[in-house]
Amino acid sequence: MQTRSFNLHTIIEKRVLTQAAFILRMERKGIEFVAGQHIQVGPPNGIHTREYSIYSSPEDDYIEILVRQVDDGLVSPALNKLGVGDSVVINDAVGYFTIAEELIKDAKFLFIASGTGISPFHSFVKSYPGLDYKLLHGVRYANETYERDDYEAGRYLACTSQDKEGDFHGRVTDYLSKNPVSPDTLCYLCGNCDMIHDAFDILEAQGLRPENLFTEVYF
Amino acid sequence: MNYADAERVQAVMAKLGYTLTQREEEADVIGIIACSVRQKAIDKVYSKIAKWNKWKNKKNLITFVSGCVLPDDRMKFLKLFDLVFDMKELASFPAMLSQYGVTTPVSNSSIVNSEEMSEVARPATVAEKLALAGAKPLSKVAAPPETWDVTPIYNSEFEAFIPIQNGCNKFCTFCAVPYTRGREISRPSEDIIEEVAALIERGYKSITLLGQNVNSYGLDKKGAELSFAALLDKLGEIADNSGHEVWIYFTSPHPKDMTRDVIEAIARRRSLAKQIHLPVQSGDDKVLIRMNRKHSMARYREVVGWIRDLLPGASLFTDIIVGFSGESDEQFQNTRAAIREFEYNMAYIAMYSPRPGAASFAWQDDIPHAVKKERYAVLTGDLEKVALAYTRKMKGETVRMLVRAKDRKDGYLTGHTEGKIIVRFLSEDESLIGQFVDVRIESVRPFSAEGAVVKEVVEA
Repeated sequence: MQTRSFNLHTIIEKRVLTQAAFILRMERKGIEFVAGQHIQVGPPNGIHTREYSIYSSPEDDYIEILVRQVDDGLVSPALNKLGVGDSVVINDAVGYFTIAEELIKDAKFLFIASGTGISPFHSFVKSYPGLDYKLLHGVRYANETYERDDYEAGRYLACTSQDKEGDFHGRVTDYLSKNPVSPDTLCYLCGNCDMIHDAFDILEAQGLRPENLFTEVYF
Repeated sequence: MNYADAERVQAVMAKLGYTLTQREEEADVIGIIACSVRQKAIDKVYSKIAKWNKWKNKKNLITFVSGCVLPDDRMKFLKLFDLVFDMKELASFPAMLSQYGVTTPVSNSSIVNSEEMSEVARPATVAEKLALAGAKPLSKVAAPPETWDVTPIYNSEFEAFIPIQNGCNKFCTFCAVPYTRGREISRPSEDIIEEVAALIERGYKSITLLGQNVNSYGLDKKGAELSFAALLDKLGEIADNSGHEVWIYFTSPHPKDMTRDVIEAIARRRSLAKQIHLPVQSGDDKVLIRMNRKHSMARYREVVGWIRDLLPGASLFTDIIVGFSGESDEQFQNTRAAIREFEYNMAYIAMYSPRPGAASFAWQDDIPHAVKKERYAVLTGDLEKVALAYTRKMKGETVRMLVRAKDRKDGYLTGHTEGKIIVRFLSEDESLIGQFVDVRIESVRPFSAEGAVVKEVVEA
């Protein structure tokens, strides 16, 4: 097997979700990955790339990422200017925020995301039908729940901190404090570091062992 | 890693007829193998090139930079240096020089015929470039060629540094290596075994396997290559059966990818040195999450447990960053506790400074410099205590050491034990440099010891 360097991939679809968030679907071109891994993506003529968790499933014949534009960012504004038919550079998928194969069938999962940190969970859910999970998604407003219909009814719960249109008004940490988690649950946390730190403390205090808490910090 | 890279650049230049000079003023071609881990090192590059570019008013000088360079710095270097290339492009270096219009000592020599000169001037194919750089033929090289495909010039006759793995997939938030070195890639084990076996036969005493994540060796090949443990075991077997005494080290491993069978291999093979460098970076789980280290303290504790169980007496080194963005006093206290718990022999402690290109550069560097300095001092004090507890046990004992150099100032010969504890002894006999000797320890400090030679070992 030969490790690839950056390759050009054509954008085949762009879905605008909010004013700042969008999904880019690109040609797969042989990229191999496991749900939960990430790729480095950048505009074709720039010198910068950024890591994005893969939003799609390894079963798909394309590759998708969920992007939120950071106005003073080096990469996301450039990606947002691109459209169908344009290209991006991508290299191999890497990362360790994955689910061990032997756990997929029997374990009980709690996925905790803030913002675009929902990406790896979208990939998990799409990749492993029958997964026993609950997904807590922390966002500011209910219109940032992205593609919530992709999740089975009753498994997705939006925690909105700035409006009351979500399933729970408050942060994911508020929800966790009010709804203790069973100690036998495997918890995956992805997104903002402060959210992960706070949620980590709450879950530990509720009796979850640190080795059952898996984290992926977004930066 | 940069040392090993430099040896390979030196080899390519030697093939072109250049000789090494220690005086930069004498150089016709001068370059830097850069390191982007700390800003200070990159600042030095800018300072050097400013000086060299001034010299160009008075002499012909070609400058180049390679190694660990961030995209932003690379763009700036393109304006300052004559040649900027990735170490993966080393095989093309002679071609770059010739295309730049440089007549090399070889191409300028009267003994080179016109056919050879034209090859130097116009290496068209990858195979030609590899040949020109003194690299292996294309048939033996995975495309694209890597730095390690170039046979180096070893600058020491008794210790060598062998790259076995390059790149990083870990994306620690304080580090820019994934953006400068790219993804983890492993060198073919047959090449490593061949190079190490040859060095052992030549009488090398200390061989260090290098990689940014050295123990991630083989993982990129997904089962089509030896595991790191299997590679170590093979090298240990060759060394143990060679009839030569040699210490084989590796650096730096990542706790996430460390497996028990690596420690078992070290325990099994006499020639695999009983010294482990295991970077912890912080003793606090939350800081480790923020650093995106991909391991917890529980995981780190498990690995150290294997080391203590299987390698009693082994020395343990580490790397620590103090004052990382957001590090609270409580979190710092956890790092102090880690020093006491793991009883390190050495810790390379760095005060955190944001590195452009690393993810944490965007975060507030919110720990005042004075606090970082204080934490650094406190941690160093803690380290000295635990390290001294180890070296004290050496007092009165006879230890084996590899003599590495002479201290010109005070007449001591210095070197290190298998566990890399620095030892020195008074001697005028410089022929001992590069030899193993037994030394009886008379006095100790936290990180070093002093004694007298009790037996000189002459290799058969």
